[in-house]
Amino acid sequence: MAWFASAILFLIAALGLMVAGAAGPAHWENGRALAVVHLFALGWLGQMMLGALLQFAPVLVARPLALPALALPALLMSTLGVLLLAAGFLALDGWEGGILLLEAGPVLLAGAFACGGAMLGGTLVAAGGWRGSEARVVLAGLAGLVLVWASGAGMVLDLTGNGPGQLIEALPLHVAVGVGGWLGLAAFGVSYKLFAMFLLAPDGDSAQRRAGFVLALVALSLVLGGLTAVLTALSARLAVIGVAVAALAAAVLYLADIRRLWTIRRRPQPEVNMQMSRAALAFLVLVCGLLPFAAAWGGRWAEAAVFAALVGWLSTLTLAQMIKIVSFLTWIQYFAPRIGKAKVPVVQDLTNAGAARRWLWLWTLGALCGTMALLAEMPLLFRLASLALLAAAIGLAAEAVAIRRLSHLSPDARPTRVPVILPPLAERRPRNDPMQA
Amino acid sequence: MTDPLRREVEQALTRIIDPETGRDLVAMGLIYGIEVAGDRVQVTMTTTTRGCPLTAMLKHGVEAAVAALPGVAQAEVTLTWEPPWTPARMAPPG
Repeated sequence: MAWFASAILFLIAALGLMVAGAAGPAHWENGRALAVVHLFALGWLGQMMLGALLQFAPVLVARPLALPALALPALLMSTLGVLLLAAGFLALDGWEGGILLLEAGPVLLAGAFACGGAMLGGTLVAAGGWRGSEARVVLAGLAGLVLVWASGAGMVLDLTGNGPGQLIEALPLHVAVGVGGWLGLAAFGVSYKLFAMFLLAPDGDSAQRRAGFVLALVALSLVLGGLTAVLTALSARLAVIGVAVAALAAAVLYLADIRRLWTIRRRPQPEVNMQMSRAALAFLVLVCGLLPFAAAWGGRWAEAAVFAALVGWLSTLTLAQMIKIVSFLTWIQYFAPRIGKAKVPVVQDLTNAGAARRWLWLWTLGALCGTMALLAEMPLLFRLASLALLAAAIGLAAEAVAIRRLSHLSPDARPTRVPVILPPLAERRPRNDPMQA
Repeated sequence: MTDPLRREVEQALTRIIDPETGRDLVAMGLIYGIEVAGDRVQVTMTTTTRGCPLTAMLKHGVEAAVAALPGVAQAEVTLTWEPPWTPARMAPPG
């Protein structure tokens, strides 16, 4: 939950800077814009994904989290690393003090990702996770995280004058592996399981899933090949095209697999988190439509595709599931000990579904307008869209706090102990936890 | 003829809800077996997924609910994931 709180603060900071005009159509290469992008991609989405995976990896493989003591150092290094990197980008706008921060950011992020990788990789690999159709996609996502860090750190070396000079050519691959290889694959892996659980659909492997995984491995290999080409001063253009084709095919197969889960579900009326996840998936369809143009022409097409992916698909999905996960973890914290001993509310009772739905719709409207503004190169519309996104983010953050405080429960249904906003960083399991067996 | 204590155990388990769906454990198809031997009760149950974060709490909750019944001296709950739970095990909505 501390990861979620930190991530939400990064989200609000990034959107506030967007409203202030720090980034916009055709303005993504100055220092302020790069700071916004990294506050959003690393601070918001990256921390949410790592925090969610720390909760979810044990569910995927029915095994307790490995090395849970690393959670706090990982969070601290990640938070500080993102802040230093974002501030360091201001060196590109002429702030000389930023150079040192720009150099320090990737070092701290390496520490954070190493800790995260040790916990998640340790949990998934020790349980033979590569055999599971969900866990192996998350493992591939962790490989993507290594590549996004390596390519980013290489570009920082160039920007600070310590590199060979051509590493900036890796930018398309860095963006592709950050959005698709790390965040996208992790979202695929988690949603296979989460969607099946929330929809009451039979989970398990499928032909689409296996083919999609192979394509994801092909895309990651092409990123590695492209980065090697850049290092040796060769063109990575072919690799970029290949990554786009493989990613597009993998995304189409993923969408087909999720459609299959949706049609065989046993839950006739999905809750708000799943209803709004459909809007997130609609953005993924939009990304698939934009991707060929982005790969061929770059420019505003690439800006719109990346925005639709980060803000439309991944953030809508994350925000919708965040409301559910916060409710579920809060329920466990306060009501699980009362199972079989007293009447307990259901998880949905902790959420104001109507309010969450309204904020999520505002978010999707902002994401759509922002994508259109980038395509049409309309800075004012982009700032208005950012304002809608900021309002929605604050509304959803307030809803998450209300859930934590059990505000939507009637007084007689609340436990006597006053809830706290943040629980302990690493949850302890009972000594006779069957998952330890 | 069904043992009255067994019926009471089953009744007690219908008062424990799955917090995600709001349906009770019996309707969810999570109870695989109830064995009654005198004043000793053994319940065999599962969870919707093997890594369910609620596993330990559900087990303890079922133990507590059964142990609280009059006439029960010992309640034991065994978890199993063989066969694995599937949504097909759920009773039709009543």
